[in-house]
Amino acid sequence: MTMQPAPQDQSIIMRTKDVGKTFGRFVALKDISAEFRHGAITSIIGPNGAGKSTYFNLLSGAFAPSSGTILFEGRDVTGLAQHKFAHLGIAKSFQITNVFPLLTTHENIRVSLQALVSRFDIFRPRTRLSELDDEAEALLERVGLAGHRHRLAGSLAHGEQRALEVGMALASHPRLLLLDEPTAGMSPEETRTMMDLIVRLAEERTVILVEHKMKLVMGISDRLLVLHHGELLAEGTPDDIRRNETVKRVYLGQREH
Amino acid sequence: MATDLAFEATRQPSPLLLWATRHRVALASLFLLLFPLVMPFKALAVMILIYGLYALGFNLLFGYLGLLSFGHSALFGAGAYLCGIAIVHFGWPWYLAIGLGLLAGMVVALVIGALAIRTRGIYFAMVTMALSQCVYYLFYQAVDLTGGENGLRGVNLKTVNLLGFEVDFLNPLSRYYIICGFVIAALWVLSRILASPFGAVIEAVRENEARARASGYDVMLVRLLTFVLSGAFCGLAGALLALHLSTVPIETMHYETSGLAVMMCLLGGMGTFFGPFIGAAIFLLLENLVSVWTSHWQLFVGLAFMVCVLFFPRGIWGTLMERMKA
Amino acid sequence: MAGLTLDLIGLQLFAGVALGAVYVLLAIGLSLIFGMLTVVNFAHGAFYMLGAYVGLWLMAHGGNFWLCLVLVPLVVGGIGLAVERVLIRPLYGRGIDYPLLLTFGLSYIIVELVRITFGKAGFPFDTPEVLQGAVDIGVGFFPLYRLFVIAATAVILFGLWLFLERTSFGLIIRAGARDPLIVRVLGVNVSKVWLIVFGMGTAIAAFAGLLAAPLQGVIPEMGGTILAEAFVVTVVGGMGSLLGAVLAGILVGVVVSMTSLFAPEMAKVAIFALMALVLLIRPQGFFGRAGLMS
Repeated sequence: MTMQPAPQDQSIIMRTKDVGKTFGRFVALKDISAEFRHGAITSIIGPNGAGKSTYFNLLSGAFAPSSGTILFEGRDVTGLAQHKFAHLGIAKSFQITNVFPLLTTHENIRVSLQALVSRFDIFRPRTRLSELDDEAEALLERVGLAGHRHRLAGSLAHGEQRALEVGMALASHPRLLLLDEPTAGMSPEETRTMMDLIVRLAEERTVILVEHKMKLVMGISDRLLVLHHGELLAEGTPDDIRRNETVKRVYLGQREH
Repeated sequence: MATDLAFEATRQPSPLLLWATRHRVALASLFLLLFPLVMPFKALAVMILIYGLYALGFNLLFGYLGLLSFGHSALFGAGAYLCGIAIVHFGWPWYLAIGLGLLAGMVVALVIGALAIRTRGIYFAMVTMALSQCVYYLFYQAVDLTGGENGLRGVNLKTVNLLGFEVDFLNPLSRYYIICGFVIAALWVLSRILASPFGAVIEAVRENEARARASGYDVMLVRLLTFVLSGAFCGLAGALLALHLSTVPIETMHYETSGLAVMMCLLGGMGTFFGPFIGAAIFLLLENLVSVWTSHWQLFVGLAFMVCVLFFPRGIWGTLMERMKA
Repeated sequence: MAGLTLDLIGLQLFAGVALGAVYVLLAIGLSLIFGMLTVVNFAHGAFYMLGAYVGLWLMAHGGNFWLCLVLVPLVVGGIGLAVERVLIRPLYGRGIDYPLLLTFGLSYIIVELVRITFGKAGFPFDTPEVLQGAVDIGVGFFPLYRLFVIAATAVILFGLWLFLERTSFGLIIRAGARDPLIVRVLGVNVSKVWLIVFGMGTAIAAFAGLLAAPLQGVIPEMGGTILAEAFVVTVVGGMGSLLGAVLAGILVGVVVSMTSLFAPEMAKVAIFALMALVLLIRPQGFFGRAGLMS
């Protein structure tokens, strides 16, 4: 795994200001202010229960923060409905694989592509949108599933389903790709493939990852955000984080994966 | 529903099934056109057409989108009443009255849907049931227009002027074919909808709502649109019912009629193209046969329904379709 | 004149609370069953009706009303237990709509069985002698029986509260209603919990049916109409919330009662207008969890 060269474009693609989230009386996140650089791979790490998934869900629009604001490319997207995110250029994959199980892999990607093109057309036969077929094939190749065109997504192996999800995320031509624990449940082989894919994808867009396997992301990330107990513990380059005493202390208590 | 199916590794339906799907409208139409030749009771055949169409509308929402509504009696009833009212109180010609019925189904679906989709899917059944009961009470109270408890009478249509030909609507066979014309048109429209890009969206939302949303689909709007389209079919069916019975009984709006749609659809096969008609046929035939011996045929229907829920969730036609895929 | 109107309003309010009491009992049963099993019980009205008919039968066979109050929930609750065990349990893995569909089919069968056994026409249900007559409650004379209905409901609610707050089983129900997964992870026998909760819910529904019987008589269709109204209460109060069920039930009862005073034909429609309002402003109901919305 090679280090990403320092991104030329230093502008900020996403920013959260004092973002917090409470569920009932449980405070999941408190005052998280962070900036995500355009073109970089930023990983959000932290022990289990740190609030990574909650933060991810806020960034990806699954729900609105209880407090604070979220800005995407300078635009306030706080509380925006989930389905609008894809149209803004933000795509996500889920922590637990979320595909359309009874559709084929080809159909999975095709319907994801369709979202940007035609959502309420009830008259024309969908076969007329043949350009979607071609693009779907291209995306399938991109994520390494070209041979599995007709297989039902529900019957794919775990790693393949994950790859399919990335393909579906790419369908909306995102400038920002959010991946929630993309290697969860994968074999070392599958993990390597996924990591390579992510690095390749990051060449053309910004990637934000959530991972709890620290070692995995150290090698590919440009920046890291460390969360702990719902708060931002540390932020910086992998070297900064490696040298950070507080982070070491927090992780020393946990087993490193 | 996705959860109860075993996964085949690939989707490679037999060439026969593929061909049948591509020509589903033609095949269904052929069946329906030939049906009265094997069915001795023409009036029953017409009821099967009408209730089959009603179940078809319901199937779009439940079988294809996966959204269970118990309020379809309001759509069906609104179609029936508005068509009847147009003819009885305003003297409209039959074709405009039918159009009004269709529109009424859509409008009622829009209002009920707009309120009901604001809740989570599980509550949709509950909320639609309650709202359709409200519509029932409203129509019950509007005695001047609807006849209240006694229903709307005098929806009389004697002859139908089709492109210059005077067709006798009172003749059971010609009545069947006129109504069949509407049903075939509806089947064609349904087929178009299912094959359209929106049809793909309906599938996606049924399969995985969260993923559909993340991909950029406004799930609430998808539900609402599907509900309104469903209302169009049900409204049309209601209008045809009014013309066929020459009355609109208040029971048309009752929640039990919503239950009918559910039962016919499940018996026949949800999510299949022709299942609803098979379900309507089975239901109405059972009703006719069983009620010869006993007035408690509802018990048998209820039992048959429960057996299907427990053991044959894909219904009779649906199970057949599954066998053909294997 | 003004004094008379105030008194009348007061009386109507009380009548509303009495009506609301029945709604409360039904909504609580629905919420309990939904909260624990995630099943919308479309047979709830049928169990309500069954309670009334079982009571009728017991009374006709020499029982007294007080005995009925105990036996009816036991008998019908027992039927509920059997239903959950035999019919609903097999469907749990299948998808959220199947148990609902089953309860719907069940309601059809229950209603038809009652029609076969007791006939299609309804029966009046005599108010027990001890509870006949009216009592001066300050704003006028109010039927004693309706006061009894309010009191009986309060007793049930109190008993339920004790059960939920003070027993370990009640704790499990509360925990399960909050987070079904946790309960399973903790190793609790969830099947047994569901079984008992369903039995409880149907028993309470039957009790409500028995209470309502002297007020409106019994007919096989009584379950269907009240089911829609019970749904309104749960939507307004928030599905899964017992406090919501209580408050919304009383509110709906009062709305019906007060509307009957001014515009009787709109009384039933008024509650649906209330539901529509709640759906527009706060779709999860007053006490429903925000997560109950899509």
